Amino acid sequence: MGDTREDGLSRLEYHVLLAMADGPRYGYGVKTAVEEESEGVLTPRAGTLYRVIARLMTRALVEEVAAPPDTPPHPGRERKYYGLTAQGRHALADEARRLRGAAALADERLGAVQGRP
Amino acid sequence: MTRFLLALLRLFPREFRRQFGADMREQIVADHDRARARGFFHGVAFGLGTAVDLVRSAAVERMDPTWVERDTDTNHTGGMGMTTSVWMRDLRHAVRALMRVPGFTAAAVGTLALAIGANAGIFSVVDTVLLEPLPYAHADRLVRIAASAPGSDLPDEFGVSAEFYHQYREESRLLEDVATYNTFTNTLRVDDRTERVWMSSPSVSLFATLGADPILGRLPTDEDDGRAVVISHALWSAWFDRDPGVLGASHYIGGQDRTIVGVMGPDFWFPDDRIMLWIGNPMRTDNVRPGRFGLALIARVAPDTDRESLVRELTVLASRLPERFGGSADYARLIEQHRPVVRSLEDDLIGPVASSLWVLLGAVGVVLLIACGNVANLFVVRAEHRQRDLAVRRALGAGRGELVRAMLAEALVVSAAAGLLAILIARLALPLFLTAAPEGLPGLDRVELTPSAVAFTVGVSVLAALLCGLLPALGASRVDLARLRDGTRGSTSGRHPIRDLLVAGQTALALVLLIGSGLLIRSFTALRTVDPGYDLENLYTFQIAPEGRDDLVDGPSYARFHLGFKERIAALPGVESVGIIENIPLNEGVNTTRFVTERTAADEDGGALLGQTFADGDNFATMGISVLRGRPFRAADHTSEPGNAVVSQEAASLLWPGGEDPLGRRFRLRDQEAMWFTVVGVVEDVLQYGFRDTPQPLVYLPMVGPTPEAWALSSPAYVVRTERTGEIGAEIRAIVNEIAPGAPMYRMYTMEGLAADSMRQLSFTMLTLGVASALALILGAVGLFAVLSYTVAQRTREIGVRMALGAQATQVRRMVVRQGTRVVAAGVIVGLAVALVASRALARLLYGVGALDVGTFVGMSAMMMAVGLFASWLPARKASGVDPIESLRT
Repeated sequence: MGDTREDGLSRLEYHVLLAMADGPRYGYGVKTAVEEESEGVLTPRAGTLYRVIARLMTRALVEEVAAPPDTPPHPGRERKYYGLTAQGRHALADEARRLRGAAALADERLGAVQGRP
Repeated sequence: MTRFLLALLRLFPREFRRQFGADMREQIVADHDRARARGFFHGVAFGLGTAVDLVRSAAVERMDPTWVERDTDTNHTGGMGMTTSVWMRDLRHAVRALMRVPGFTAAAVGTLALAIGANAGIFSVVDTVLLEPLPYAHADRLVRIAASAPGSDLPDEFGVSAEFYHQYREESRLLEDVATYNTFTNTLRVDDRTERVWMSSPSVSLFATLGADPILGRLPTDEDDGRAVVISHALWSAWFDRDPGVLGASHYIGGQDRTIVGVMGPDFWFPDDRIMLWIGNPMRTDNVRPGRFGLALIARVAPDTDRESLVRELTVLASRLPERFGGSADYARLIEQHRPVVRSLEDDLIGPVASSLWVLLGAVGVVLLIACGNVANLFVVRAEHRQRDLAVRRALGAGRGELVRAMLAEALVVSAAAGLLAILIARLALPLFLTAAPEGLPGLDRVELTPSAVAFTVGVSVLAALLCGLLPALGASRVDLARLRDGTRGSTSGRHPIRDLLVAGQTALALVLLIGSGLLIRSFTALRTVDPGYDLENLYTFQIAPEGRDDLVDGPSYARFHLGFKERIAALPGVESVGIIENIPLNEGVNTTRFVTERTAADEDGGALLGQTFADGDNFATMGISVLRGRPFRAADHTSEPGNAVVSQEAASLLWPGGEDPLGRRFRLRDQEAMWFTVVGVVEDVLQYGFRDTPQPLVYLPMVGPTPEAWALSSPAYVVRTERTGEIGAEIRAIVNEIAPGAPMYRMYTMEGLAADSMRQLSFTMLTLGVASALALILGAVGLFAVLSYTVAQRTREIGVRMALGAQATQVRRMVVRQGTRVVAAGVIVGLAVALVASRALARLLYGVGALDVGTFVGMSAMMMAVGLFASWLPARKASGVDPIESLRT
């Protein structure tokens, strides 16, 4: 889960960035989004998830941001929100492109039926 | 569980925690709730997975320079240099080292898991039954009040009479409220469903006294005039599908139509959890007849009341009873002798079971200690094997603390694995254990492996790790570096005080448990050989309630019905005989009343206090109760010739002391002047209440009284003698459906089953304590065997030298056996001393044997010594087989 390549993104890192792509999210929101968007394949536990977020922050792909203006106040404590930096947005797009390329290659080799998404 | 996980967050670097701690906490709590909602095992799996993930992530982050640079307290925590990553390394090493010795690991983990599992299981029961408070507000202020009359012929303690209730309730300044109650089975009919269920008819003050409110509807009041009923949550769920519309509906409850006005909460029970409904009874002062004792009374005491002043007040209040309510001279004399008995309600409801459970918790605690002793021993042996390895590590600069840590880490890993296995064992074994438990224990059906029991297990595991690891760890760290120089394999000195101490301690503890279970086994066999006066084998008993038949109106009509029904049952294949009795022994008590003879009738306050029941003639032959003189009832006694009676031997001697022949003599109830009975038979005494009781003097009256209205047996018990006790019930049910459709059939037992139930608390404690002491004996023997085997193996060279110098095989054997028995003997002496004190905890359960029974103490000590001898003999035989040449060559 936590294998990081120097240039690319691990699967979990990719999904964490993806979760923040349409706006900042708070911690548990990231977790549930990752769970949903990976169709239940990735269910990061607390230790793993925040290590990944920490790593993405040191690589300047993710930063702590202000809560979105329409957020209802959370009882008990203020939640921290995390969003993509410009660099993060870039890295996500790169990875998506790479994945598309890899997928197209696979389709080609397996002789996938054309015209189907 | 979450608390443990959240504590693990502390393993992360401080900076990391500052940034993400709150988020992580939120996720752990939310995910744990989700996992718990999916079931117990999901919760446990989540906890374990998350714990591993947190520990691993924390370890990686600690290595990460991002945090280390800023985190100053990581490198130097001082003392033994216990940084988290070092601990992690120790644990990793420990796991690897243990994997290399699977035999050792399996033995250690298995031994501990059994002991910890037993502790978790018993603790779950204790937690639910004893530690959960009673479901009443301020239950510590609730008391039971009974009566006693020292110097009278009444029992040591008996229930009060209705006038006490009124007097206490109106006059006492120390009691806030007072309530009475009773319990019985009666018919409940809702639409087409008719059953006999357990009910209670308490004074309407019961709920206020207990401080309990219904979750639906209201409580009964005096104005309801006994027609309002509150039902239990269990009944509401099972019969009414939790329909709120149940309120206001009328049903046939306990002999007449009554209205359900309230539903109690799921946690409420009183006085036990069999009771399905409570019929509010307005206690009125106008129909009180003083001296009708036997009423159960509870009360709520005002805050800060001490028992002595309460007893004093109640004594004074009771002394004014004759002046307010009247009564006979006998009653007035009894009130003079009267002393109130006040006991806390909690002791009263769960006290009898509590003593057994605490004994069992103590016993499994002892088994855990012994298991720890064994595992510690295994570790000592292992440490000695590794002496050279440890010496090398010390020589290379490892501190003593580091060595202790390494050993402790192994113990911790073993205990953690054992703790996990123990949860599994407890989960599997707990249901089996509960089937053996006595019935009527409040809350027993709610017992399950609770989170606090799991937490308890974790705590016990850590304790076990400390106990198992500390002694050997300290011992092993004291390695002498000289060992490296002399180049021999291990020592030749045979003395190991630590291990001898462990074995002696185990022996002592095992002996305490052995003596305990020995006492219980002797009590059980003594009870089994008691002759109750009736047979237990091949007897099936049941009751039916043939209400709703219009022809059943008085004594004779009920008697005709029962005799006809009896004929039908007797005609079933395999049925030898059928009898009828009002109160089945071991299941129901009998009323006690004063009877007078023609001689004592003149004395207004005279008469003998005797039990009274109703029976037909075949009851005696069917139950196996011998007719000593005269004859049992015959059919005419229940129809054309009323007024005959049968008495038990004890009753006869109380009525006609001095060996007079009771046959043909007349007697009557003291307060029924016109109703005389003539004795036609004398029968053997029976044990009505249980095997520990003394026989009850008993008067058997016929099914029909002198007048048709005198009494009627509406639902007596039938006793059926047959070898087919298993199948006969269904065939009888078919007859009931034919002659009294819809009549509930209930209280179906075999006499053997009732006998087993009456000894259940003893047999349950005996069984579990027996298992615990067997475990203790085996573990103790294994420990001794292992120690001696190891010593012999280590002393092979020395033994070889001795034999080369002419020592005989027998001498060598004797030497080893002597070493073993000396340790065991020391343990036995200590064990005997502890048992002298500890066996008193069992006093309440014992029968026919004293808590300090010499035979049991000597017998069990001898057994312990024999097992010790045997465990020493095996290594001794091996020692005497040492070949001197071989041993010196290697």
